[in-house]
Amino acid sequence: MQFDFGITPKGLIDTKNLMAQAVSTHSSPREFLRQHSDMVDGLVRKAFQKAQSQISTPSVCLIAVGGYGRSELALYSDVDLLLLYSSSQKDKLPPLIEKALYPLWDLGLEVNCSSRSINECLKMAASDLHIKTSLIDGRYLDGEYEFFRNLYRLFIKKALHRKVRRFAEALAKDLHLRHQKYEDPVYALEPNLKEGEGGLRDFQIGRWLIRAKYKTDRWDSILFPDHSRMLEKSLQFLWAVRNQLHLLSERKQDDLTFEWQEKIGPTLGFPHGTEGVEQMMRQYHLSTQRISNFVEDILDRALREPSPLKKTFFFLGRRKIDENFGIAYGELHLLDPITFKRDPTQMMTLFEHCQTYQVKMDFRMEEAAIEALPFVDHCFRNSKKVNQTFLSILRKGERVETLLKKMHELGFLSRYIPEFSEVEGKVHYDLYHVHPVDSHSILAVEELERLREGFYQKEYPLLTSLIREIAKPEILFLTTLLHDIGKGMEGNHSLVGAEICRHIGNRMGLSAEERELIGFLVSHHLLMVETALRRDFHDEQVILRFANEVKNLNQLKMLYLLTFADIKAVGPEAWTSWKNTLFMELFLKTSHFFEKGVVAGPFLRGDETIQKLQEFLSPEIISEYADHLPDRYLSCYSVEEIAHHIEMARSIEKQFLLVEWGTEKETRAKVTICTKDLYGLFSKVTGTMFLNRLNILEAQIHTWGNGLALDTFWVEDATKDIDRRLRQFKKDLGEILARKVSLKDFIFKRKESNGIKQKVIPRVSGEVKINNQDSDFYTIVEVTGEDRLGILYEMTEALTDYGCDIHFARISTLGNRIVDIFYIQDEWGEKMVERQKIEHLKQALLRRFPTGEGIIS
Amino acid sequence: MKKIEAIIKPFKLDEVKNALNKIGVQGMTVTEVKGFGRQKGHTEVYRGAEYKIDFLPKVKIELITTDEIVPQVIETIERAAKTGKIGDGKIFLSPIEEVVRIRTGERGRDAI
Repeated sequence: MQFDFGITPKGLIDTKNLMAQAVSTHSSPREFLRQHSDMVDGLVRKAFQKAQSQISTPSVCLIAVGGYGRSELALYSDVDLLLLYSSSQKDKLPPLIEKALYPLWDLGLEVNCSSRSINECLKMAASDLHIKTSLIDGRYLDGEYEFFRNLYRLFIKKALHRKVRRFAEALAKDLHLRHQKYEDPVYALEPNLKEGEGGLRDFQIGRWLIRAKYKTDRWDSILFPDHSRMLEKSLQFLWAVRNQLHLLSERKQDDLTFEWQEKIGPTLGFPHGTEGVEQMMRQYHLSTQRISNFVEDILDRALREPSPLKKTFFFLGRRKIDENFGIAYGELHLLDPITFKRDPTQMMTLFEHCQTYQVKMDFRMEEAAIEALPFVDHCFRNSKKVNQTFLSILRKGERVETLLKKMHELGFLSRYIPEFSEVEGKVHYDLYHVHPVDSHSILAVEELERLREGFYQKEYPLLTSLIREIAKPEILFLTTLLHDIGKGMEGNHSLVGAEICRHIGNRMGLSAEERELIGFLVSHHLLMVETALRRDFHDEQVILRFANEVKNLNQLKMLYLLTFADIKAVGPEAWTSWKNTLFMELFLKTSHFFEKGVVAGPFLRGDETIQKLQEFLSPEIISEYADHLPDRYLSCYSVEEIAHHIEMARSIEKQFLLVEWGTEKETRAKVTICTKDLYGLFSKVTGTMFLNRLNILEAQIHTWGNGLALDTFWVEDATKDIDRRLRQFKKDLGEILARKVSLKDFIFKRKESNGIKQKVIPRVSGEVKINNQDSDFYTIVEVTGEDRLGILYEMTEALTDYGCDIHFARISTLGNRIVDIFYIQDEWGEKMVERQKIEHLKQALLRRFPTGEGIIS
Repeated sequence: MKKIEAIIKPFKLDEVKNALNKIGVQGMTVTEVKGFGRQKGHTEVYRGAEYKIDFLPKVKIELITTDEIVPQVIETIERAAKTGKIGDGKIFLSPIEEVVRIRTGERGRDAI
């Protein structure tokens, strides 16, 4: 039963591709969709007519529904059809459908066809939201036109224009459920163009609702001209991206994954590489933000419209709060619609009222505010009254995040703080930064608010009490909102940002002292991260240097809180319990220094420690070991731990390897390894840990004078199987050290079983920094690069091959970026200072990264 | 061409199917199967008597795809089928030599 369209499946794809290129999809994406849909119309009609001519046909009507009905058919989208029949002729339908659809399927079109009578359509539209919405966009294709007319006359009267509020509620629920599915941060990085937040489906929801409520298909007719223009632009952009996505992937692909972000950028005129992806994704975020605002606005209008009864008795629930504003039914409204034009400063008062009276603004108020945006000008920004009000909103601290979000959504925030518009929608092309800078900044404020409300009381009691005791919360909130503001500019974003913030502070009328505080916090907002995650606190100097930069306890508290908010707002997994421990330790040590003038902790002098050991061990044992214990070792552990280590060392005579561990929260363990030191021991240990999927967080490596190695590791296993993995690790390490098996073979086997093509993710370029200033005794090697299986093992191997002794290591992972810190000495136990040697070491380390290239600084 | 077989928890079938549909996977074969892996089986007590449940009910999905979208399909199944608990299942990947669509006689990519 072959059917001749005069075109083969292959030919159809070629034609589609040619069409796509001919209309230059990105300059007029909508036009392309229409042309494509017209072409498919031709094929569908042909198939339908031919089928009708072959069998005795009942009278039916063929209708295009859904996106195809709107003539917005993307290259590989479903072609949705509806076959209307008169109920008496039901049995003759299947042969007709079969004859019409098979050839279309064979052509490679994804055709779905439902057949219903008019009554069935109406009944189902009343009970099923998706059938109702797909019918809204119905378009006549072929057959009995009379059927089509009747259906739509009834559908509009009985379904579409009825119970609009209930329709809005159903749409809102649908939207909410769909967004929940896409809440996972993965989707923020690789969004779904159609179903994601602010995607094409969201726009349709707004449009359908306008059709139902305002009885018009001109969605733009109820918006301000500026708004509808911007919205149209956003839609065109999303369509352009989607067209390219379908064209290049040759299938119904709506997930904008990294692979396609990289490939599509250049086809839409963005530069190649990371910069282009970032620009394109910025435009994506700005576009979806606009669509989100649009659909929220339309839903609001439909849902918050008071019932006629309430309207009649409006005056009963109504209360005047000052000469400009009133409250009715929990919503703030304007007494006089031209208030904002007469006195723009009332706009800030509006937000203050929302906070004080805990009310929302009604949608007319929102419109008035949007309309009055041009009045938020130089004068407004410099008005003392406005700025005082803004700061007092921040000071009060209730619902600040909600208000900032609203200000942002209305476009008010970027008018009031124009510098903020530079970071709107700005993204980093990597796996770590999930949100664009503007959302990230507002989320950070939200984290502070949660902290203050006691949401984290149990988890982070110290931070909770700190935020309640700081003197000027408004400065902290303002700083948090603005901490990344330098990201819109060239140069070091902390320093540039600090300059911008001082300027903003000046405009807002902050005192010189407050401006300096903000400037300090913004310029140093990464200092705590750099110190806590990349330095060894057992080195007294680290604390002294950090304290020196931070200057006083108040700044320390603020910096700690800002660091928390900043990291916590990056993504749900960024503030790990491990990081929490490190930051807390740094805070406590430094605050102790500010209060007492000395650095606290196990910084006993060597001889004091030996003295104290007598409480635990006999004098003979102490005298046997005392001379072997290096100073750095003594400063790293408590007396109890040292006594225990000596006991381990004594039993090592019998066994050549001792491995002990204590677990914390099922996922983390502190592992102590005691054995005779041998060349490349550390690299063997890291390799064996890698084999057992143990993730290394930190390592302290010590060699005693008598040739004994005593290493402690903090390791992690996210699958909560840490005990089993450690037992296996202990067994493997024993065999490897006894040379029963070779680690290299093990690792090779582990790597080769990989038949799957790797998913495309943002690349990270390798970077090696050598620092000889921060420690008196060690050269600090800081390696940044792309994470992959066994990378730490390879790094330690490279360092060992180069004759370096590793004494301390700390490893952080940010998405697919690793930052490894090694404290090393050369084979003579000295810092590495020779220029040429440093250069060679850098090269040796960089070669271990997959690309073999990187930045050297 | 590759065959992807995934053994998943039965209640995850809908989620996996929808997720695959979203990325444009067009067809699959689903079978109800029984088996055990590391999850072993477990013992249930009913009115004092112990019943050993050896094999656990699972669902097997089989689908054939072109090589290019294999990573995306695997990632999608992984993401949708994961609960993080024991017994989430496994995914197997194997090469396919030939595919024939019986009705039309098409072969290779066209027949998928």
